[in-house]
Amino acid sequence: MNRVADQPNVNPLREGLSTRAVPQPCNVVIFGATGDLTHRKLIPALYNLAADGELPPAVTVVAFARRDKTDEGFRKELEESTRKFSRQKVRSEIWKTFAESIFYHRSEFEDESGYESLATRLDKIDKERGTRGNRLFYFAAAPDRFEPILKNLRTAGLNNAPKGSWARVIVEKPFGTDLASARELNRIVRSSFTEEQTYRIDHFLGKETAQNILVLRFANAIFSPIWNAHYIDHVQITAAETLGVEARGGYYDGTGALRDMVQNHLLQLLCLIAMEPPTDLSANSIRDEKVKVVRSLRRMTAGEVGEKVVRGQYSDGAINGKPVVAYRSEERVDPNSMTETFVALRLNIDNWRWADVPIYMMVGKRLPKSATEISIHFKKAPAVLFNKEFTARDQNVLVVRIQPDEGIALRIQAKLPGTSFRIEPVKMDFHYGTSFGKASPEAYERLLLDAMSGDATLFARSDEVEEAWAFIDPIEKAWTAENDRPGLFFYPAGSWGPEEAEDLLDRDGRNWRRL
Amino acid sequence: MYTVRTDMSAVAESSSLGIPVEMAGIDSELKKLWSQSAESMTRASLINLAVYSQEPASLQTNTQLIGRITENHACRAIVIAANCGAEKSRVQAWISAHCHVVGTSQQICSEQLSFLLEGDCANLLPGIVFSHLDSDLPLYLWWQNEFKDPMDPQLWAWVDRLIYDSQMWKDFDTQLRLVETAECEAKQRIILCDLNWTRLDKVRQAVAQFFDHPKSHRHFASMENVTIDYGAGHRSTALLLVGWLGAQLEWQLKQDTEAGKIAFLDTNGRNIQIDLHERGSNPVGKVLLHSGETEFGVAHAKCGDLLEVWRSNKNEKQFSQMMPAQRNDAVSLMSQELMRGGLHRVYLRAINCVRHLN
Repeated sequence: MNRVADQPNVNPLREGLSTRAVPQPCNVVIFGATGDLTHRKLIPALYNLAADGELPPAVTVVAFARRDKTDEGFRKELEESTRKFSRQKVRSEIWKTFAESIFYHRSEFEDESGYESLATRLDKIDKERGTRGNRLFYFAAAPDRFEPILKNLRTAGLNNAPKGSWARVIVEKPFGTDLASARELNRIVRSSFTEEQTYRIDHFLGKETAQNILVLRFANAIFSPIWNAHYIDHVQITAAETLGVEARGGYYDGTGALRDMVQNHLLQLLCLIAMEPPTDLSANSIRDEKVKVVRSLRRMTAGEVGEKVVRGQYSDGAINGKPVVAYRSEERVDPNSMTETFVALRLNIDNWRWADVPIYMMVGKRLPKSATEISIHFKKAPAVLFNKEFTARDQNVLVVRIQPDEGIALRIQAKLPGTSFRIEPVKMDFHYGTSFGKASPEAYERLLLDAMSGDATLFARSDEVEEAWAFIDPIEKAWTAENDRPGLFFYPAGSWGPEEAEDLLDRDGRNWRRL
Repeated sequence: MYTVRTDMSAVAESSSLGIPVEMAGIDSELKKLWSQSAESMTRASLINLAVYSQEPASLQTNTQLIGRITENHACRAIVIAANCGAEKSRVQAWISAHCHVVGTSQQICSEQLSFLLEGDCANLLPGIVFSHLDSDLPLYLWWQNEFKDPMDPQLWAWVDRLIYDSQMWKDFDTQLRLVETAECEAKQRIILCDLNWTRLDKVRQAVAQFFDHPKSHRHFASMENVTIDYGAGHRSTALLLVGWLGAQLEWQLKQDTEAGKIAFLDTNGRNIQIDLHERGSNPVGKVLLHSGETEFGVAHAKCGDLLEVWRSNKNEKQFSQMMPAQRNDAVSLMSQELMRGGLHRVYLRAINCVRHLN
C-alpha cells in the first residue's frame, strides 16, 4: 500500500520529491508594494523561487499601493530591481512568464472601495489562473497603516477565505515598540485574522544556520548531555555591524538597538539555543518551547539595568580606514539624540537547565567587523594535570556563525608538537560555503515558501512577541526615567563599543570573544 | 599536481591524472601534496565517491567529470578503470586535486585517487576502494557499466549509495535482479540511486505541482490517458515515468492489452491508456495527462533547459509557466543525485510497477 495515497489532501505524486510542506498556489497581495522591501527582497525572492522551480506556477502577485502605475510599468520597475538584487542572474524567459503573474492595484490604504475592487480582481485571478481562492497578504507598509488595511480587508470579506482555501497575513517587524503597543497591534491583527492565520516574519529565523541550531542540538547525541548548567559556563550572542544607520536614520532614532535587534533577532536566537527539545517538529511544539525560554528570562529592576545593561552610541571614527561621522551627525537623526546604537547586556534564564549560566549579548553599529555569532563557552577542565595555569583560551568553545560565512567551529586543546608539553587551543571549523557548493536560499525565499505552505515554525507567535517586550520594557523604562537614568556611553566608530561593555564581563572574570 | 579552476570554461581542459604514485606510497604522497599546498587551499570532503568503469580510457573522462562535480560536492574521489582483457596484470595509480576558487582567494580542494587495473587485478576493486577511503565518510559507488554475475558481497556491504544508470541496461530484468542481489548482500542497507530516475526529477516536479491543491485530486479519478514523447534510447526513462504514475496513483498494469500497448486499471477499475512515442531528442520531451476535459501538459521549452507547463480546459483561459528542466549530462545528473539524499522508496515502487515492460 502507498501510505501517502491513503492520506486525504496529500498529493501522492509529491512523495519523495520534497521533504518540506508543499506551497499552495495563491495570490500574494503586497501592501506598500512600491517600497524598498518589495524591490530588494520580496520580488527577487519570489523570482528566485520561480527560477528554482519551487514556486507553484499559479502563484500571482498583486501589488497594492497608492501611486499611479500600470501593470506593465510596475513590472518594468520590478525587472530592473530584480536584476540588481536577485541572488541569481535573471533569465528573460523565466522573468517573462513570472512578470505576467504580477499585477498592480492602485488604492489608498484607507479607501474601502479599493478593497472591494481588490476582492473582485482576486476572484477573477482565481478563476483565470487557478490560484484557488488562497490569499497571502503581506504587510510591507508602516505599522501605523495596519489598522485601516486590516479593517478594510475585513469589510471586504478578504480575511475569510472560501471553504477549502486559506487567507494568511504576513506582518513585518517591528511588532510594536513596547508591550502595550505590541498587545494593541496583536489585538488589531486578531480583529481580522486569527493567530493561525498570522505570520510574524523575523528574517533571522530564515537563515540557514539559525535553522541548523535545532539540527545541531537535536540531531547530534553528543551535545545533549553537556547542554546545561553543569557543563556550560556562559553563552555569548553577538550581532556586530560595520554599517551605520544608512538611510534609516529617521526610523532608527525612534527605535534604537535594543528594540531594533535585541527584542526580536537576538532573543529568537537565544530561544533556539536555550529551548528544551520539542515534542515534535510542528510549529506550535517548537514555539511552545521557545516562548518558555523568553518567559524564563529574569526581569530586571530599574536598579539592575545600570548594572547589567550597557548602552552606547557611536561617535566619529573610521571603518575600514575610511572616516565616518558620529551617529548624531547622521541624516534624519536628532543632533542631541540619546538613542543607543550599541547594547551589551547580561541576562539569566531562570530554569533548571540554565540556572546561573549568564547569557551575554552584544549588538552594535559601526563596530570593526560585521558578524552574527553565538558562542557556547564550556566550563574549564579541572585545574590539575595540563590545566594548572588556566587562561580563558583554555575553555572549549562551540561557535555557531549565523552570518556571514555560516558555519560551526569547536575550539579544543591540543599538544604542540615537540618534546615539551605545551598546550594550545586549536579550532575545528565547518564552513557551509566550503562543504556545500549550493548557495543557501535567501531568508525571504524560505519564509515566503513556508507561509504559502502554512508552516509557521519560523515565524514569531503573539505570546513570544509579548513576552519579549515584557523583558525589554523595564530596560527601556529605566533608560527614559527622570531620575537615576543609566548613562549613555560613547564609543568611536570602528571600535568594539564603550569600555563599560568590557567591564560587564570583566566583573564576572570573563571576556568578550574576539570575532 | 593541482588543477586550479577559476571558472566553468577552464574545466573541460583538465583531464590530467596528476602525479603517478606507487600503490604503497599513496598516503605519503597525499600528505606531501597537501604539505606543499598554498595556505589559501583548504581540503574538503563530505563523501567518498568511487567511480568504476570497465573502459580503460575512462580515467581521463571521469577526471574531467570529477573536476566539475567537486565544484559543488567536495569529496575524496576514487576513480577506477578496469581493463579485464589485458594480458598482463598490473595496477597503476595517480593522485591529483581539484581546486575551485571560492570568493576572492580561498581555494577549496577535493583530492582524487586514480587507478588503472589490468588483467586479473580487476578483481582487486573492493580492496582498493576499502584501503583508500576517507574514514567515517559515506561511500558512494558510481558503477558505470552493466553489472556482472557474481556480485561481490564484500563490496556491497560497504557501499552506502550505489549509483547507476538503468537507461544503458540492455537486459533490464537481469540487471535489476543483480542490483537486488547487491541490495540483499548489503542487508538492504544500500540505497539504490538510478540516474535514469534522477533524469525524471524535474519532469516529476512539474507534473506533481498540478495536483498540489486538494481540489485538483478529483482529476486522478478521471484520468483517461497519458501520452509521453521520449528521445531515442530513452524508452526506459519514459517507462519509469509511467511506473511512477502507476505506483503513486495505485494503478494496476492491465495484463490483457494488445502487444506493444500499455494500459492500467485504476482503483475503480477504469481503463487508463498509456501512449509512448519516440520523438525529439530530450529523454522525456513531452508529457500530457488527460482527465475529462482537462489537459495537463509539460514540455521542454524551445530554449532547452526549461520546461513549459500548462493546464488547459475549454472553460479556462490557458496560462503557461516556465520551470527548470533537468539537464541530461553526467555532471548535472550526478550533482542532482548527490544533492538529494534520503531513501528512494518511490523509485523502488516505480521500477517494480513496470519491470516487466522493459
